[in-house]
Amino acid sequence: MKKWLGVFHSLVSSVTAIGVVLLCSLILFSLRSYLSTSVIALLYLVPVVISAALWGKIAGITASVLSFLVFNFFFITPYNTFRVTHPQDFLAVVVLLGVAILTSTLMARIQSNLETVKVREREAVELFNLSTDLAGTSDIASIVRSLAVRLAEVFLSPKVEVEIVTAATQASSKPLLVQVPEEQVGDPGQMVRRIPLVTQHGVTGEIRIWGITEMLAPEEERLIQTITRQAELALDRALLAESETRARILEESDRLKTAILSSVSHELRTPLSSIQASATSLFNPAVELAPEARADLQSLLLEETEHMSQLVGNLLNMSRIEAGALKPQRQWNSFAEIVDTCIKRLRRISTQYFMEVDVSEDLPLVSVDAVLMEQVMINLISNSIKFTPSLSTICISAETDDQNIKVTVSNPGPPIPEEFIEHIFEKFYPIPGRDPTHSTGLGLSICEGIIEAHDGRIWAENRPVGVAFTFSIPLAWGGTRPVLPVEEREE
Amino acid sequence: MSGAKPQILVIDDEQQIQRALRTILMQQNYHVIIAGTGETGLALATAIQPEIVILDLGLPDIPGVEVCQRLREWTDLPVIVLSVHENESDKVAALDAGADDYLTKPFGVDELLARIRVALRHHSKAKGSKSSLVTAGNISIDLANHLVTRNGEIVRLTATEYKLLAYLAGNIGRVLTHQSILNHVWGYSEGGQMEYLRVYIRQLRQKIEENPRSPQYILTESGVGYRFIS
Repeated sequence: MKKWLGVFHSLVSSVTAIGVVLLCSLILFSLRSYLSTSVIALLYLVPVVISAALWGKIAGITASVLSFLVFNFFFITPYNTFRVTHPQDFLAVVVLLGVAILTSTLMARIQSNLETVKVREREAVELFNLSTDLAGTSDIASIVRSLAVRLAEVFLSPKVEVEIVTAATQASSKPLLVQVPEEQVGDPGQMVRRIPLVTQHGVTGEIRIWGITEMLAPEEERLIQTITRQAELALDRALLAESETRARILEESDRLKTAILSSVSHELRTPLSSIQASATSLFNPAVELAPEARADLQSLLLEETEHMSQLVGNLLNMSRIEAGALKPQRQWNSFAEIVDTCIKRLRRISTQYFMEVDVSEDLPLVSVDAVLMEQVMINLISNSIKFTPSLSTICISAETDDQNIKVTVSNPGPPIPEEFIEHIFEKFYPIPGRDPTHSTGLGLSICEGIIEAHDGRIWAENRPVGVAFTFSIPLAWGGTRPVLPVEEREE
Repeated sequence: MSGAKPQILVIDDEQQIQRALRTILMQQNYHVIIAGTGETGLALATAIQPEIVILDLGLPDIPGVEVCQRLREWTDLPVIVLSVHENESDKVAALDAGADDYLTKPFGVDELLARIRVALRHHSKAKGSKSSLVTAGNISIDLANHLVTRNGEIVRLTATEYKLLAYLAGNIGRVLTHQSILNHVWGYSEGGQMEYLRVYIRQLRQKIEENPRSPQYILTESGVGYRFIS
């Protein structure tokens, strides 16, 4: 098909060249009596050069030969024959033919160089476009997409598919397939060119371009190959970046685990040392203890075992949150009841504090896991107790709007520096200005985990006086609100 | 059955717990028998007919819940189950299988002793004259005549409130799971209307408690159920 197109093209350009020569001959013929033979021969170079420059080598040569014949026939005496009598005229005819062919050949070569330059330029522009597309992307899916889009544009193809297999897609046993355009309009035809895609780092795949043949012009072939190589390099780069990120995450989590482990052992050791100290003094027959001292040590024993038991409970909950195994057993609950239960459970450790509870029983029921929600409230309240001087008032309040219930635990303790307030819910976050081994522990991050498992959010803020921890939880559960019983008559 | 000293059967496989319970309970003038496995426990229970069973839910041979069920096949002696931290579903299963009460490890001795006393008291009462009158503080509930009084004055209750209170008071000292209350009062078989229960518990507390926000009689057992105590 390409070949026939070429023949047709040459034919048209030859006919055009013939036309130009004939037109020129007509003009020269009318001026024949005024011009000398040599001037006419010179003027015949004009159509030859024009034809060669505009329509290529074949047109140039056609024009040369035709000019030679017409010149000989009409302008060399005797007219209307191909005979040449004067040696001078013979020279003119031969020179015309020679110069015409030479000129048209040279012109054609310049022309073809220009073509090559143009093709090269297009190639460079396409490659530039592709590398611009690829430069910004480091994930495999967008690289594949850019490649497919670019190929469809360059080859004006009705459909391009790129399919690749990486370690990740192998795991899911589903290769990554990108198709351009996404919605196929009409039949892309039977003609498909397949180009394999293989990178050094284990990506394999195939590019399928519809609408082009196996036999491409060398420059187009080169363009396909170059684009493919570019894409392969980009894919390799993305793979390397990906594995590097993974390695960094692993390293980070490893570092975090070590930090947590050292914090945990520190936090466990503190109550353990008080327990051991109290127990050994209580049981040491050599130590004479006053009754108050004995009572004090005994209550210390109790408090610290309580503390340890809470810590172990927190650790267990944390590991459940981390493992994603924390599934709230949600049921309709009264927040007032939950708060009242917490206050009762905290009675022992809160003797030195005032509790101000503003949680109405008239609040709508909320769908929460009561046990987990108690854990949140107990953690927030004991956190307040930990950081507030004794005899302070700790306030617990709750309110609802159309969508959410909002519960706040506030205390008049020292404010949290603004730059740390964002991090306060992180595990074992070191509290600034304190002993670096002294941290937030797990309490607050467990609160965050539990609240998030209830589709809510939790935050801390500094008040004009003191600090407030607030969480909000949606009132609706699975889109529904509680169905309340109809009021009954008393008997 | 021994005379003065009540017999307690402890079914737990952890030696340190066995040791602690034996020492503490013997100090409190109980006779303590220890079983390390569920099967031994069941056999001993049949052989010695103890007054009370303390049952750990995590046994090496058979699940604690199953021990509970098999005990209930022939006896209504009080069973207090011990479970590990915050494992609500286990507790609920054991209570539904017939256990009377539960304690979460780790627990304080005072708590354990209080539970044992409550269980023994109510059990001996139930075994004696089947009284239809339940009294708790200044509240008295006449189950035969459907009459509730507080400080001698009649408390007016709705039909559902009375049904709920009668069920709780009729099982004084026992932990009743949400599901068993819903079954009994409303007749819901599966995952019934928790919101009804919450609303009626609140109403009942307002009518019979001195301070409904700090209840003395109807206690909340978080994630498990409710308990009526005297």
